[in-house]
Amino acid sequence: MRPSTIKYFVKEGFGGLRKNLLMTVASIIAVAACISIMSFSYCVVSNLQYMMQQMEDSIGISVFLEDGTTSEDIEEIRGKLEKLEHVTKVTYVSPTDSLEMLKKEWGADEDIFIGLDEESNPLAHSFQVDLDEISSQKAVLKSMEGIKGIDSVEYGQSVSEAMVKISKVFQISGLLIMLVLGAISVMIIINTIRISVTNRRIEINIMKYVGATDWFIRWPFIIEGIIIGLIGAIVPTLIGMPIYAKCIHIFYDYIPFVQSFVQFKSMSDVFVFVLPAALIFGILLGVVGSVTSIRKHLQV
Amino acid sequence: MIRLENVTKIYPNGSKGVEGLNLHIKEGDFVFIVGSSGSGKSTLIRLLLKELDPTSGEITINKVKTNTLSRNQIPYLRRSLGVVFQDFRLLPNKTVYENVAFAMRVIEAPGRVIRRNVPAVLSLVGLAQKGRSYPNQLSGGEQQRTALARAIVNNPPILICDEPTGNLDPDTARGIMELLDDINKRGTTIVMATHAKDIVDEMQKRVVTLNEGHIIRDIEKGGYDDEA
Repeated sequence: MRPSTIKYFVKEGFGGLRKNLLMTVASIIAVAACISIMSFSYCVVSNLQYMMQQMEDSIGISVFLEDGTTSEDIEEIRGKLEKLEHVTKVTYVSPTDSLEMLKKEWGADEDIFIGLDEESNPLAHSFQVDLDEISSQKAVLKSMEGIKGIDSVEYGQSVSEAMVKISKVFQISGLLIMLVLGAISVMIIINTIRISVTNRRIEINIMKYVGATDWFIRWPFIIEGIIIGLIGAIVPTLIGMPIYAKCIHIFYDYIPFVQSFVQFKSMSDVFVFVLPAALIFGILLGVVGSVTSIRKHLQV
Repeated sequence: MIRLENVTKIYPNGSKGVEGLNLHIKEGDFVFIVGSSGSGKSTLIRLLLKELDPTSGEITINKVKTNTLSRNQIPYLRRSLGVVFQDFRLLPNKTVYENVAFAMRVIEAPGRVIRRNVPAVLSLVGLAQKGRSYPNQLSGGEQQRTALARAIVNNPPILICDEPTGNLDPDTARGIMELLDDINKRGTTIVMATHAKDIVDEMQKRVVTLNEGHIIRDIEKGGYDDEA
């Protein structure tokens, strides 16, 4: 394609949008709404998943063994735990290790542990069991029930289940809203381009008579669609970036303890995905809208 | 150059456009297609432009059998056909120069060729000074000259004119006919559908008369009502 031809397409594309400003703005707003919802649900879902991952890394399941467990028993139980599905790592924590950890956690107040030593350590032998994902926790706990020698288990069940649920709700509702808004955007774009096509029907007619190819006729309208999609994608994303950063900031400021056990994804981590995805999705909406609306009008 | 063999066009509603047409137009010919309204002139023109496909029969234009052309190939057939309509069909928001250049731009002619050919063709049709005017600033004759310039700027071997003088007064029409004659003398084959008896009589060219979709008369050189 000649540079002059490309220039012509772009000029015609912008020209069409200008002549039809009201519909252009309506289309851009529709695309922007769709992209905003998409970005918002991605922000929520990706952060929840990120947090779950952090919790998976840190929590897992703590398995405490019965009093009087011998070292043979410990090895046997470790073997059984390692064979369970979804278990990625089993770490033995001796009572001494547990005591050291407790002392570290209590820091300045470690005096209260004075007098506790190897002999009088009341803590149990335990295992730290890491899982492949938090949602497999239930299954693993179920299969642990049959292992002899386990006294009790500890796990962040309620938190993890809630997060899995919230994440699913956002994923599904985000997808649904996106589909509906996406369809509305495409319909509005179809209308905008159709008006543009109608405005230029004499031109299209002449183009056909002098031997313009279908693609030559289509391109300016596709470019109109692409411009609508691009602006509709860029504007909400650029507005969304500082808002996201601000939201995290507010969260950390008002609920400081949040930061001690979970972190939000940084703005760049989120938008390195959201920006290109929004652009691609926006362009896709624009192209689908324009191609659909010109298909009919090319029959001469 | 143009050959129709046993061409019939029946519209979906059952009405007959043309029936069993056999017509051969040689390179460099100037042919009038005459006949009353509903005689099949428009159908014939639309068949030549491949706006319509014949129900049966075969059309060959510039050695290309148009029946078998795929949709993608139609634009390339149309590049060998210049077209002029009764209603000019100029783009109102483009100047005379831009209207003519438009026809070259859409077939992706290089910029320097456009800058060379458009002024040349404008001066050929007598509009060298009107390049910057908009269609609504022109007389009917000048608008038709612009349309003619647009039709021939890509140098098509065939020019198809559908009632090109229909909207013009007799003097202006005569000017357009002189121009068409001139273009024909440069080697372009011209097929012109018309009602204008006086013009046909004056030009003394080949006349094909249609009636109810049939060719009833084909005179090598003559007037509107001459007997074969």
